[in-house]
Amino acid sequence: MHFENIAEGVRLCTQNTDKFKTCRINFSMAMPLDSDASARAILPFILHRRCAKYPDFIAFSRVLDELYGAAISAGVIKRGEAQILSFSMTAIDDRFALDGDTVALECVQLLTDIIFDPLTDGESFPADIVEQEKRLLVEMIENEMNDKRRYALTRCEEIMFKDEAYSINRLGSVDEVKTLTPEKVYSAWKDVLRRATIQVTMVGSMDIEPVADILKSKFSSIDRDVAKIDTVFVNEVNQPEYICEEMPIKQGKLVMGFRTGMADEYDNSVPMRIAVDIFGGGTYSKLFSVVREKMSLCYYCSAALFSSKGVVMVQSGIEDINEEKAKNEILNQLSLVAQGEFSDEDFSSSIKSITDSIISNNDTPESICAWYSSQLLRENLKTPEAYVEEIAEVEKSQVIDAAKTIKLDTVFMLKSNGEVSDDED
Amino acid sequence: MKINEIRNELLNDMYYDIDHPSGLKILVMPKPGYASTYAIFATKYGSIDTMIEMKDGSFREIPEGTAHFLEHKLFESEDLDAFERFAKTGASANAYTSFDRTGYLFSCSGNFKENLEILLDFVQNPYFTQATVEKEQGIIGQEIDMYKDIPDWEVMFNCLRNMYHNLPVRIDIAGTQDSIAQITADMLYDCYNNFYNLNNMVLAVAGNTTVEEVIEVADRVLKPVEGKMAQRKIIEEPKEVKASYCEKKLSVATPQFMLGFKEDWDTPERTAKEEIAMEILLDMISGPSTDLYKRLFDANLINNNFGFEYFTGFGYSCVLFAGESNDPKAVSEEIKKEIRHFRENGFDEKDFERTKKKLYGRMIMGMNDIDSLANNMAVSFFAGEDVFTDFETYKTVTVEDIRELLNKTLDENYSTLSVILPNS
Repeated sequence: MHFENIAEGVRLCTQNTDKFKTCRINFSMAMPLDSDASARAILPFILHRRCAKYPDFIAFSRVLDELYGAAISAGVIKRGEAQILSFSMTAIDDRFALDGDTVALECVQLLTDIIFDPLTDGESFPADIVEQEKRLLVEMIENEMNDKRRYALTRCEEIMFKDEAYSINRLGSVDEVKTLTPEKVYSAWKDVLRRATIQVTMVGSMDIEPVADILKSKFSSIDRDVAKIDTVFVNEVNQPEYICEEMPIKQGKLVMGFRTGMADEYDNSVPMRIAVDIFGGGTYSKLFSVVREKMSLCYYCSAALFSSKGVVMVQSGIEDINEEKAKNEILNQLSLVAQGEFSDEDFSSSIKSITDSIISNNDTPESICAWYSSQLLRENLKTPEAYVEEIAEVEKSQVIDAAKTIKLDTVFMLKSNGEVSDDED
Repeated sequence: MKINEIRNELLNDMYYDIDHPSGLKILVMPKPGYASTYAIFATKYGSIDTMIEMKDGSFREIPEGTAHFLEHKLFESEDLDAFERFAKTGASANAYTSFDRTGYLFSCSGNFKENLEILLDFVQNPYFTQATVEKEQGIIGQEIDMYKDIPDWEVMFNCLRNMYHNLPVRIDIAGTQDSIAQITADMLYDCYNNFYNLNNMVLAVAGNTTVEEVIEVADRVLKPVEGKMAQRKIIEEPKEVKASYCEKKLSVATPQFMLGFKEDWDTPERTAKEEIAMEILLDMISGPSTDLYKRLFDANLINNNFGFEYFTGFGYSCVLFAGESNDPKAVSEEIKKEIRHFRENGFDEKDFERTKKKLYGRMIMGMNDIDSLANNMAVSFFAGEDVFTDFETYKTVTVEDIRELLNKTLDENYSTLSVILPNS
């Protein structure tokens, strides 16, 4: 992996390899998560379908076809209290081009075109395009409820973090989208180009220099003034809050939000990751082996650590009548981990499993890109190998200590309102 | 033991095709430079196999969802279950049941031989008791309920139920609460004995390994058994769809739809060429570079979740268009209108060449990851092809093939629309 700062707050991160048949480029841009979330969330979607050179989206799509089906995707995620806009592109490696084309470099050119030379209408984006993308963004936000597992998690986050920026949806809100104007969206874009922390991550066999040159020249005309992104880590936990909502659904969704006591993203994060894994990670975990396998309460019950916010979220799909049973057992299993009631074998299973999956990240361009782009807010990038070394040094007692600091904050239960019927023929 | 090397010059890839003395077909693609290895041990037995062939050649019906139930239960054994064994090695293990196969798999970046031994061993050693079967009914019951709340899943099965009168592809892969309640340990043994003989299975491995390593473990662990490739019963199915429209209410924000076109062929399975030609045809009718796509988009009739699929397997093939829309019927009419347009006016050669170029790139992209490589090798074997077949076949597809295919398929008289509406 090669790293290079090409402008203030802009890092180019490249892995030059001919191991794969494709190349992958990711452009990630982080801004503080705040009340302008929708104005920024709409940007990748407006931009990724067109540019000044190819204003029409069919024409743009046909250019991608001619680049051997190169695929561009746009996305928005939340990491801690940062909102990250991303553009990713996958294309075939040049050695598979049938007529000597240089696919990879053309893709980089196209990606920089959509980012730096978008289709504009003076000092704004074209009004009809903004209107269309507003409609699409509203549908995207509203349709988040279609996935009940995700919806329950989102609701739990809204409740648990109501006094923190983390409660803001990565896409903002429907009300906010409706207020967006072409001018407002355009100025949000100018703001992102100037203030976002940016990382461009590339994996493939292409030459780095021409890519670095293109990027340097694009950023040289921007007066960069990078916004500071601070995520608040709350460690005070009072009486856990309980909220239950009803919907016409078949299966109940239980979400339990915990605070870990981590002071920041780096604080004790490796032992914490292992503790959470033993609690509710793989098939050897407490939640899988007891709540699912032994008690047959559910198909899934798992815990995930979000170290960028220092929280753990447990999720399970259960029958409504089993809510108390499941909650009590989940808490019981956490306290067992905190009391050190897990075997040396469980501990080594967890370490082996985490290690194995981290090393496997080296085997697809997408996972390599994801590994590094997820670190865009870190000053020093960590390789998978370096992370594995840290894991190997963790002792069982550190894991127990980490588990002891995990405290329940909020329980959210999405229940059936009894309005779902079986209608099989 | 017969070992063939199958090569593709363009891709610079090769794999070993092995007829193991145990009766098992083994396919191994070593990938130098890769850190991990992926192995899948699969049987040609999926949710559509609702009949077991008896010794006298007759067929006996088994409950819906049995293949999937068996997949869950095979992980168990008298002492350590398979998950506990994989936990000691750090591998990530899993399994899936689809319409026409069941696969057991792991990926790992260390201890490959040990993991392969666990995989081959647990799949060859069933252990079912009435008590463990009953315990699983609770877990799978929750899996079934979970899918009932997933609109994409419901819109698809409603579409298939609309389309087919008799074909078992219309039933849910996991079955129903009622059907899984009928499953017994004895029934699982019957199905196991019928479908899990090595002659009906394949082992496909891709990644950081060698053919010697794989054969060494296979020689040690595989136990030859009596048996043959299980026969699938051909089920009679009328040409007509069962119903042309259905709707269901779920808690969704935007209505969801799936428009299906039923096909009628003389042979139970589609060839590689037919499937590739259909991919090109569908992309030329409704892909992101088409007039139809733009028109639907600009009329606010579709959003980012619009797509199509050529859905085929033993005995069934149909085209599915799916998406989210506030007016599913209007989308359906627009798609049918566009199909009529192409039927009457033909295709532009330039569009055809461009679409073919895109497909070529997408096929290359599909040859990267060891999990898709191993899965594709297994699927290709069951289809009687090899994993490189598509690369040779796509070159032979002409615009004339596309025209001919359109004349045989996408007939709106055999179409059906499934809609999920918001319930508030």
